[in-house]
Amino acid sequence: MPRRLSALFLLLAAFLFVSCGEEEKPVKVSLEKREEIAFRPQLPAITYAYLPQYSHTESFQRHHRLVEYLAEETGLPLRQVFPDTFAHHISMFGQGKIDISFSNPFIYVKLANRFGARAMARIIEEDGKAEFRGQIIARRDNEAIQSIEDCRGKSWVAVDPSSAGGYLFPLGHFVDHGLYLRDFKEVVFAGGRQENVILGVYAGLHDLGSIREGSLKVVESKIDINQIKVVASSRSYPGWVYAYSPRLPQEVADTIRKALLKLDYAHDPRHRAILDAARFIGFVPSDDRDFDPVRELSKKVGLDLE
Amino acid sequence: MGWILNKYLLKMLHGLRFRTKITLGVTLMLIFCGLSIGLILSAMSSKALLEEGKKRGLALASGLAFRLAEPLLAMDFLQMKNLIDNVHGQYDDVIYIFLTDINGNILSHTFSGGFPSDLLQVNPDSHTTQPLLLTTERGLVYDFNSTVVLGETNLGAVRLGLSRSDMDAQIGHQRLISLVSTLGVVSLGIVLALWFARTVTFRLNRLRESAEEIVKGNLNVQAGFSLEKNCWEIMECGKQQCPAYGDARRRCWYLAGTLCPNCQGKEYPLKIESCRDCPVFKYNFGDELQDLAEAFDVMAITVKNHIEELTEREKTIARQQGLLKTIMNVTPDFITLQDKNLTYTFAGKSFCDYFNLKEEEVVGKNDFDIFSGGQADLNFHEDKQILITGQPLAKEITFKRPEGQQWFHVVKVPVYDQDGSIMGLLLTARDITLLKKFQEQLIQSQKMEDLGRLAGGVAHEINTPLGIILGYTQLLMDDVTDEELLENLRIVEKQTKVCRKIVADLLGFSRHSHSVREAVDINASLREVIQLVEHAFYLNRIKVLFAADDTIPPLNGDRERLKQVWLNLLNNAADAISQDGVISVQSKRGVRGQVEVSVADTGMGVGEEHLHKIFDPFFTTKQVGKGTGLGLSVSFGIIKEHGGTISALSPSPAEYLPVDFPRPAHSGPGTVFIVTLPTSGGTAHVERLTSE
Repeated sequence: MPRRLSALFLLLAAFLFVSCGEEEKPVKVSLEKREEIAFRPQLPAITYAYLPQYSHTESFQRHHRLVEYLAEETGLPLRQVFPDTFAHHISMFGQGKIDISFSNPFIYVKLANRFGARAMARIIEEDGKAEFRGQIIARRDNEAIQSIEDCRGKSWVAVDPSSAGGYLFPLGHFVDHGLYLRDFKEVVFAGGRQENVILGVYAGLHDLGSIREGSLKVVESKIDINQIKVVASSRSYPGWVYAYSPRLPQEVADTIRKALLKLDYAHDPRHRAILDAARFIGFVPSDDRDFDPVRELSKKVGLDLE
Repeated sequence: MGWILNKYLLKMLHGLRFRTKITLGVTLMLIFCGLSIGLILSAMSSKALLEEGKKRGLALASGLAFRLAEPLLAMDFLQMKNLIDNVHGQYDDVIYIFLTDINGNILSHTFSGGFPSDLLQVNPDSHTTQPLLLTTERGLVYDFNSTVVLGETNLGAVRLGLSRSDMDAQIGHQRLISLVSTLGVVSLGIVLALWFARTVTFRLNRLRESAEEIVKGNLNVQAGFSLEKNCWEIMECGKQQCPAYGDARRRCWYLAGTLCPNCQGKEYPLKIESCRDCPVFKYNFGDELQDLAEAFDVMAITVKNHIEELTEREKTIARQQGLLKTIMNVTPDFITLQDKNLTYTFAGKSFCDYFNLKEEEVVGKNDFDIFSGGQADLNFHEDKQILITGQPLAKEITFKRPEGQQWFHVVKVPVYDQDGSIMGLLLTARDITLLKKFQEQLIQSQKMEDLGRLAGGVAHEINTPLGIILGYTQLLMDDVTDEELLENLRIVEKQTKVCRKIVADLLGFSRHSHSVREAVDINASLREVIQLVEHAFYLNRIKVLFAADDTIPPLNGDRERLKQVWLNLLNNAADAISQDGVISVQSKRGVRGQVEVSVADTGMGVGEEHLHKIFDPFFTTKQVGKGTGLGLSVSFGIIKEHGGTISALSPSPAEYLPVDFPRPAHSGPGTVFIVTLPTSGGTAHVERLTSE
């Protein structure tokens, strides 16, 4: 009995010791020993900026591979920078803080008009096109709207006043057919979401809607898209474009363009990974003339791209 | 040393009261368990708190790192500073935060007035175990390194210093709480233990007190408690004849012969099985202590009953012993018991008295110690022979004593024990002196009988010649004129008449005379005789007192002959008195319906040596010529013929004389003759009693 009791004591004591645990050994560090630390200035590099459509982290995640590829391929120091807004992007370009800009055609036209930006390559979207257009949709059972002309005096829901495919291109198309904003019963914007436009038309809230081509596929799983008919499509306009600052030497721009065009989505898995992250599948060479339709459109719809 | 201490401790523990022991034991156990569990839990929770603190630091650091990715990309120093300061300002225990880029440049920090460069030397890699404990001027600090990552790309690192002392304070606080709560629980436990010990020991003490009472001899104890509801109340049976009914002290399952249908008439250990399902048992059965107390009560009652039984038996035995002793002491027979060695183991009182010994002087001794050598030797050989042969011995012995010849009938029998071997010798001896006397008297009676027959035969033969002699003498007297001759003839006639009287008396004694049976009034016959003699006695100043019992019935007998008996007895009495005395005659109903007549006198009495001869024919103490000595023997014969008895006592007991009779100055011891006569037919019961 006493042996058993002492065994119990030992067990408990051991348990106690174990539960107390081992103490960590602290490292001695002085917080009083201060020194002023200067920021080591970054090495000069070609700056690359993506029009801040998304957050910086998203921009970074989409493009840092491409930036790394270009730096590696060209042997040039290349760094992605992150403007906070479209205006910031434009102003940074103007200040020379952006050497290579990746932007939509309207911003490009502004940059070209204001600061002499030069287009060097357009991207090929995931649908395989380097251009895109807008579509005017209505409910299939809406007999009143059969043609562009039928849209007069109707309620129009568009994506956003600055949306290219969802507003500006269809507006240009209306203007070409002699319809102006005042000819519509109302023009409503759906807060920048293509889906809202489609759903608004589908629900019968509005007579017609304007969307970027290809958006119908997005809502395929949500509604029966056969209930929607495309009344008309705008002409095609060039898509997103890489442009370079006039301060960048021509040969550097050519090297970069060459490296861009070298990317092979179909055959090189490494290239494919880079392009997948950036959400497009390739490049086509481009120059400023490709953007004349945009300049025309802006004139038609009264958009100031100067 | 330790062993001695241990022993001392054990001894001390042993001496403690049970209640103290329980309390002490439970208290120690509670303290031990409480402290152990408290310490373990406290250690565990301390560890958990510390872990939690570390996790919090890590979460803060990594959260900050996540939020810093954007400003880091945009190189937005204001945003970086805002984010860092926000966290730093929000938590007091965050000592510092700083952000470095991928190249180790410090982009932002919370220090004012320079940056402590030491920090850059430690914890450079976030892949090492985080956090790292630093000891600084501001106490212990956990340094957390969290990298700012986007995808797989490392953008920089956030370093966060979290004060360990705050965590320690929290841990200390928590430990205090757990200590206090442990102590609280332990205290509560001790209070409960005290209460528990009190409850248990209260019942144990009660049991102990009951045991002490039993040791003191008081069996009327109750260790168990009274029940809230007794069995007959639970069952509502109303069976008052059940042994359990009304017995509040014992539980019914201990009692045999209870009348519940479930009990099946079994006794305690057997019936308990069926009791387990009984509502009474379920209601009243307590814990082991209660069970013990109740069993104890039952034991006490059982012991008490047994003791009472024993006492009763002891009394019976004592009574029987007393009875045996009384018998042994009272019996006139000698009784002794000797063992195999002929040592006395018992001697009756008569034996002791006879030999003038005390019982103690006899028991444990043998014959040689008590009797003379010769007698003892004789006894020894005789006894040994009985012990060897197993043959009982019966004999009569006689010896002379100052008060006369003594006769004893001695019986010696061997005593066998249970296995059939002789274990001793029992002697009984009876004083048969009296019996011997009766035997002699019987012989005397036989002699009288023979004598009577002889006398009767002779008298009958003589009677005829005497008649012829008397007839011829009287004829001669008629013829003779000679005066002298006539005188002679008269003498012959007188003497012949005397002879004829003697012959008649002899015939009467031997019942050879003719008798007439008729109803006789005893009192009347007595009065006639008394009247006859009264005057003559009066002349000698002898007074006859007659106390008649008028209720006595007449009896069948010969009136004249009974009158002759009364006359004989009265004459005898008067002769015994001679002058100045009283004769008391009483008639009364005797025992067994007999008529008893007594004639008592105040005369000179009869000597003892003569008393047994007075009824013999021709026995007389009178002077020669005064009596024939046939009066009493004739009376004896007549009474015997009537189926009665006659006896004499001298001196006369007082009951036969009147209380207030005028006792003369020179009166003797007196004699009384007692005649008993059967009233109808009578049994031929003859006895002659004498007394001293």
